Amino acid sequence: MVLELILGTLNRALAYGTPLLLATLGEIYVERAGVLNLGIEGMMMIGAFSSFVVAYATSNPWLGIVVGAIVGGLFSLIHAFSSITLRANQTVSGLALTMLGTGIAETLGRSWEGKVLTSPIKSFSGDFLSSLPGGLDLLFKDSNLLVVVSIILALVMWFFLFKTKPGLFLRSCGENPSACDALGINVWKVRYLAVLWGGIMAGLGGAYISIAYRPTWSSGMTQGMGWLAVALTIFSFWNPIYAPLGAYLFGALFHLAFRLQVFVAPEFLNSLPYLFPVIALVFVSRLAFRKKIGVPGSLGKPYERGKSG
Amino acid sequence: MNKRVVLVMVILCSFLLGGVAFSQEAKLKAGFIYVGPIGDLGWSHAHEQARQVLEETYPWLDTIYVEAVPEGEVEGIIDRLVNQEKVDVVVTTSFGFMDGTVNAAKRYPDKIFFHCSGFKRAPNLATYMADFHQVYYLNGIMAGALTKSGKIGYVGTFPTPELKRHINAFTLGVRRVNPQAEVNVRWLQSAWYDPQGAKEAAEALVAEGVDVLAFTEDSASVVQVAEEKGLPSFGHYSPMLSYAPNHLVSGQLVHWEAIYLDFFAKVYAGLYTNQNLDNLDYWWLLNDGAVELGADFGVPINPVYEETLKSYMVDDPVYGNISVYDLVFKLEAAMADPEYAFSPFTGPIKDRQGNIRVPSSVRLSLEDLITMEWAVEGVAGPWPGEPE
Repeated sequence: MVLELILGTLNRALAYGTPLLLATLGEIYVERAGVLNLGIEGMMMIGAFSSFVVAYATSNPWLGIVVGAIVGGLFSLIHAFSSITLRANQTVSGLALTMLGTGIAETLGRSWEGKVLTSPIKSFSGDFLSSLPGGLDLLFKDSNLLVVVSIILALVMWFFLFKTKPGLFLRSCGENPSACDALGINVWKVRYLAVLWGGIMAGLGGAYISIAYRPTWSSGMTQGMGWLAVALTIFSFWNPIYAPLGAYLFGALFHLAFRLQVFVAPEFLNSLPYLFPVIALVFVSRLAFRKKIGVPGSLGKPYERGKSG
Repeated sequence: MNKRVVLVMVILCSFLLGGVAFSQEAKLKAGFIYVGPIGDLGWSHAHEQARQVLEETYPWLDTIYVEAVPEGEVEGIIDRLVNQEKVDVVVTTSFGFMDGTVNAAKRYPDKIFFHCSGFKRAPNLATYMADFHQVYYLNGIMAGALTKSGKIGYVGTFPTPELKRHINAFTLGVRRVNPQAEVNVRWLQSAWYDPQGAKEAAEALVAEGVDVLAFTEDSASVVQVAEEKGLPSFGHYSPMLSYAPNHLVSGQLVHWEAIYLDFFAKVYAGLYTNQNLDNLDYWWLLNDGAVELGADFGVPINPVYEETLKSYMVDDPVYGNISVYDLVFKLEAAMADPEYAFSPFTGPIKDRQGNIRVPSSVRLSLEDLITMEWAVEGVAGPWPGEPE
């Protein structure tokens, strides 16, 4: 019974946490390169909408996923251009991206409202599940290929960031862009690529929502997940390996809020998933204050040659 | 040009202009204020559909709307509608607009106000509601017949008297055909439109073993979960058959236009004025055509479930040995009867602590219905605000 509850909770944590994980992983790279992008919500909406339209029109969900990622990436270049090239205020530019993305998706989405995808990405089916060893079938009951891909991405992105030379360049650009520039690293290029990658991942997260999680289009369907991703980026100490922890913890709390309503007042439970990031952020900021871990040194500061970052 | 031709033209033009002026005077202009975006599948969407019917039906009526208005900002929007858009009638479609509407009605005594789901009225402010409790009862009967585990799941948004009334009616229906079954309720308490929350709540209920799903929320999330898991479900507010062609049994559908058509015709005819709306409260039900039982308009029961429901026989206290399918339509006819021959809330009804809430052969009054806080026997799970 307890084991069933645990596995069942983790099962939903995987299904619900995946878009959060994808967007968080992307934002980790963006912020590691020294750029703050608060436009995740907008990029997710754009990704969710474009991928839905393509999947609906072609009946090919995977094509939709690819398009959602590409559109999310292209859309993020607006932020890259204004914040890196024009050195605009990154907070403002990111917020504008969110408003723009949400606005575009909802305006264009009017005529698609309530349409249902007949060919969504389905959860793993019986044959594959029953071939899994004990317990795992319960754990991955509501998962699909994208869930597995996102976990692999977390590992690969961790390896790239901390164990490879380009990863070192990326981190350096977020710590001390002037030094990087002096060493001959193209700071602008690195930052552009990081923002682009963040957009691709956010678009992917949005696409997961409209093609796998809830295969339909309705306005406001990302429901603030982009903002959670901003919080989870901090919660994971800007480290891809910790990102799944935060995303799945959030998913688990969300599920438990409903499972435990019989025993605990729903008012309290329903606030837990939102209370948790706040508590986590307080905890992280204290830790960061004491040990100076994580926060990229030049986060949010536009880089201009000749001025110390 | 000939002088006479010019003269004739001038006269004709003045007639035309006069005609335009006249028809403009005789026209009525109404402004609708919605709490949500009209795009969602729920409440505001349904009001917007009704507004469009109005606009098409009455050539003498012009309508405009403002969507996604936060409840605290309704007064400013009404000011704008009255002063700039020059509307004659303001329709506010959310319970939370109540006090703002009351204030505005005082400020503009020559305008007419129509507020949905509230209980405060004034000489120029009437109220209206299309209530689902009868339809929920019918859906409960089908749910009771379709559950194998005896556990039915219900996702609710906020524990308001309206939802409690509906869940109670649904549960009474369930227990009429399946006295052992229980309705497990989970609350979202986030927003009327919360697709992710509704989905996770439904998934949690399924994980706990419910095998039929019903809900009150403004998206089709719960129905989509039902389709994915292969469980019977009941739609809410809008036709949701396309979301679960094989797993939507029926649902609650609304026809706000029934109320609007009646109200505006009487305003136009001068029957309703800014002086006589004190006691005007539309509480419209099945017999008024304001609500409908259905998976889609005109589809009371999804044909996929017809066989199962026809072969499920019950011994009904009133109708004897009867199939659930027939029972639903018998009761629908009884409730749609202009005499209101049957009410789901007819005693004896006990609450879930065992207290008699409705004595034998007593029928709950409108006042009792709109202030309902208690839970009937058969409701399981949390029930915020439950009386001791």
